[in-house]
Amino acid sequence: MLAYVIRRLLLMIPTFLGILIINFVVLRLQGPTLVEQMQVSGGMGEGATAGGGDRKVQGAAKDVENYLDRFRRAGNDLPAIINLRGFHDAGDYAGWLRDTIANGRHKDTPSKRNRLEKELWLAGPQAVVPLVAVLADKANVDIHILAAQALTYCAYITLNPRDLSGMPSAELQRIQQRNETLRNNRILHLNTREAGVTVVDPKAAEKRAVLLALFAEPQTQAEYAARAGGALSAMVFNTGFVDFMVKLATLDLYSESRKEYVFTVIADRWSITFWLNTIAILIAWAVSIPLGIHSARRIGTLEDRITTTGLFLAWSMPAMFLGTLLLYHFCTDTAASKAWFPNRGLSSDGALWMPTGAYLLDLLWHAFLPLMVLSYASFTALSRYMRANLLEQLDADYVRTARAKGCSDDTVVYGHASRNSLITMITLGSGLLAELFSGALIVELIFSIPGLGWLMLEAAVERDAPLLMGSTVISVSLLLVGILIADLLYAVADPRIRSRYV
Amino acid sequence: MSEQPEPVPPVQPATLQSPASLAWQRFIARGSSRFGLVVMSVIVALGIYAPFISNELALVWWSKDGLSFPAFTDLFNRRSYEKPHDLFFNVAALLLPPLLVAQWFLRQRIRTGRRIAGMFALIIAVGLMCWTPFIPGKNGWTAIWDHRPFVEQNIQTWRELPPESRPLAVFAPVKHRFDATYPGAVLQSPGTHNPLTGGTYWLGTDAGGHDVLTHLFFGARISLTVGLVATGLAFFIGIIIGAVSGYFGGWIDILLQRMVEIMMCFPTFILILTVVAMLDRDIFIIMIVIGLTGWAGVARLVRGEFLSHSVRDYVVAAEALGLPKWRIMFRHIMPNAIAPLIISATFAIAGSVGAESGLAFVGLGDPTTPSWGVLMEQGRQNIRYPWLIYTPGLAIFIIVMTLNLLGNNLREAIDPKNNR
Repeated sequence: MLAYVIRRLLLMIPTFLGILIINFVVLRLQGPTLVEQMQVSGGMGEGATAGGGDRKVQGAAKDVENYLDRFRRAGNDLPAIINLRGFHDAGDYAGWLRDTIANGRHKDTPSKRNRLEKELWLAGPQAVVPLVAVLADKANVDIHILAAQALTYCAYITLNPRDLSGMPSAELQRIQQRNETLRNNRILHLNTREAGVTVVDPKAAEKRAVLLALFAEPQTQAEYAARAGGALSAMVFNTGFVDFMVKLATLDLYSESRKEYVFTVIADRWSITFWLNTIAILIAWAVSIPLGIHSARRIGTLEDRITTTGLFLAWSMPAMFLGTLLLYHFCTDTAASKAWFPNRGLSSDGALWMPTGAYLLDLLWHAFLPLMVLSYASFTALSRYMRANLLEQLDADYVRTARAKGCSDDTVVYGHASRNSLITMITLGSGLLAELFSGALIVELIFSIPGLGWLMLEAAVERDAPLLMGSTVISVSLLLVGILIADLLYAVADPRIRSRYV
Repeated sequence: MSEQPEPVPPVQPATLQSPASLAWQRFIARGSSRFGLVVMSVIVALGIYAPFISNELALVWWSKDGLSFPAFTDLFNRRSYEKPHDLFFNVAALLLPPLLVAQWFLRQRIRTGRRIAGMFALIIAVGLMCWTPFIPGKNGWTAIWDHRPFVEQNIQTWRELPPESRPLAVFAPVKHRFDATYPGAVLQSPGTHNPLTGGTYWLGTDAGGHDVLTHLFFGARISLTVGLVATGLAFFIGIIIGAVSGYFGGWIDILLQRMVEIMMCFPTFILILTVVAMLDRDIFIIMIVIGLTGWAGVARLVRGEFLSHSVRDYVVAAEALGLPKWRIMFRHIMPNAIAPLIISATFAIAGSVGAESGLAFVGLGDPTTPSWGVLMEQGRQNIRYPWLIYTPGLAIFIIVMTLNLLGNNLREAIDPKNNR
């Protein structure tokens, strides 16, 4: 039995990783939206005008930096699965910068800017050494300005709140000082929208000299090389996914939209969804199995037909329709009467001061309709399967043998046939879990229950990738635990499995 | 003189029937199947002919400038119908009647010469049907490029004209446009009169001032498109993966089965949510995502079929003949494995329709398309307006139920030993 459990657990690891990778890659599809949301007012484009003076330029630089910080803290600066940046040398960078100028991509428009940022501005420590080489080379005069610009972004080190406390103060001071220098020497293309021309920072040459002096020390270059790591190890380990997994393992995912760590947000939420789903599954099983058996034993009668038709109709009923209908008919106060059920949340105001019995009653009063909507879809499906399955079993030879031996009808149905149909029911039950989770999302939305599903929806609407990813991890884990329990039950119900793994 | 051999009586073709036609007979013999087919046809027809049922433009407009058909001309106006699926349905609206006639025509036992002549006549008729709306009117052929004069031939202009100078015009039964918002028409209850067009909001209006009934007709187009495109994509991927996995076996099978297992465990709604949240909320992206997440079940089904068929004699014979593998897979095995796929496709269409409306319901639908889920979401937010709940809810319920019913009956017809 232990061997069986271990085997199931090991098989779940690739599934879990696969789900996370797919979700992670999908989250990386977000494109230029982040830039639009952040509304970088200055940067390399509009906002900072040529005649605006140095203060405006510095303001724009600060804006870009804030954006860079947020972008990096979310781990978006790294490639998703494979990082090939370690393999690029100065020649590649020079080529890209020329290409950028040739295509006019250094000029404007958020989408172009975003692509450029992903390619160069955000390439991080790996780009520093090659970019310094590009900058130092006299042959690259045509791209010096752009290279210096890229360098100020790549060499800039984003400090996480946790780094600030953990780092030795001398090193911290050095990094902060260098960041300050980089910020002061940032070269900006000042784009005047109206004139349609790009004016280059007049102090570009001086700034380039400062940058070259800053990176001339071999110690600094060595530090960046150490930060970048070897090309091969960086390919696998310096990726967005590994970064995310590390953050996940250290509970370091940070939600920008809520200004809070993701797992503190989820901590208040997940148990609600967990209990709702667990109780809904129990209700579904408690209703569907007797219903299926009852219906199968009376096959062909009017009663069976009514049950089958009713279940068919319920099966086709979308949960959102039923939920909204219940909300309208039972949870909405009208002029004539007060609503039977509350329309939001899982407890009334002041429920915490109620005695235990009253509190539980209050909880039941709130949770009754959501649980009903959550479980009906599963129980209609399950009881249909139960009925069909039991009918199949009742045709089997061993049932005929049992009847021939003189077993009573009840013994045949409950002792022999149902036991065998339960095995298939368990596999079907674990398949329904995923659907249940999707249903929970809709039910939580309709009845305003602050659970995981609702959180996930809010995260999706706000495009908050860490929060969405964190809540996906939790709900997928819950789902996998559910499937594991189903597997265990399967082994309990089926002696053949047990005997295979003694 | 040798005796003449006794003539072999010819095999009666009536007694030999293919399994497909037998299954079809069993299927159609049921009242509920016929009912389901009728309901689906009505939904499809409402979707296809939505612009003629519900429009502000005149169907026929006969003024002293000449005769014109503004609603027909507007069918190919990109300013009115922006989305590609609308264009598809509009083309279908024009082509469906001649195609039905052609279908009838081909079934008749007519001599070849006359049939060819008839087909020519039909082609000319189709051409005329497609082009007549563009020819008349004072603008003549320019109508193809410039639609503005026709857009003005609507019921609002007609009502503003003095009665004696009004042209002869025929209007659609529901006098509202799907893309128009009517000022002052926000959340009006069913039966309210629309003073602008003289129509009635038979099913009320929504929070944006649109007519719900019109929304319902055009929503059918979306549901049908989503169902077909998403299911088609899911089946395309699923069939290829399942066929490769089941036919070749070995490590390919193990690898693909792990992928299938991941997708089976996946809470697909969450993935769809993630994708839609991160990409543009375009109805076609939604369809594609629903399709891309739905192939796992199909792959598993096809794999099972291929596993059982790949050891049968006819496959071994085909292999012995040296046929290419893709030909054995898709020309020999596939036709034998198609029956369970048809059944599961019917359920899959219902599932995709539900998924799309669920997505719109949670507020992640395409805000520019009149989907039923969008209407339902408005119902949830404006909970005191029941027509916003019942109308789309019943529509989704009916289409899902009908498809499930057809799938159920198909299963029982194709696999009669499970006839319960």
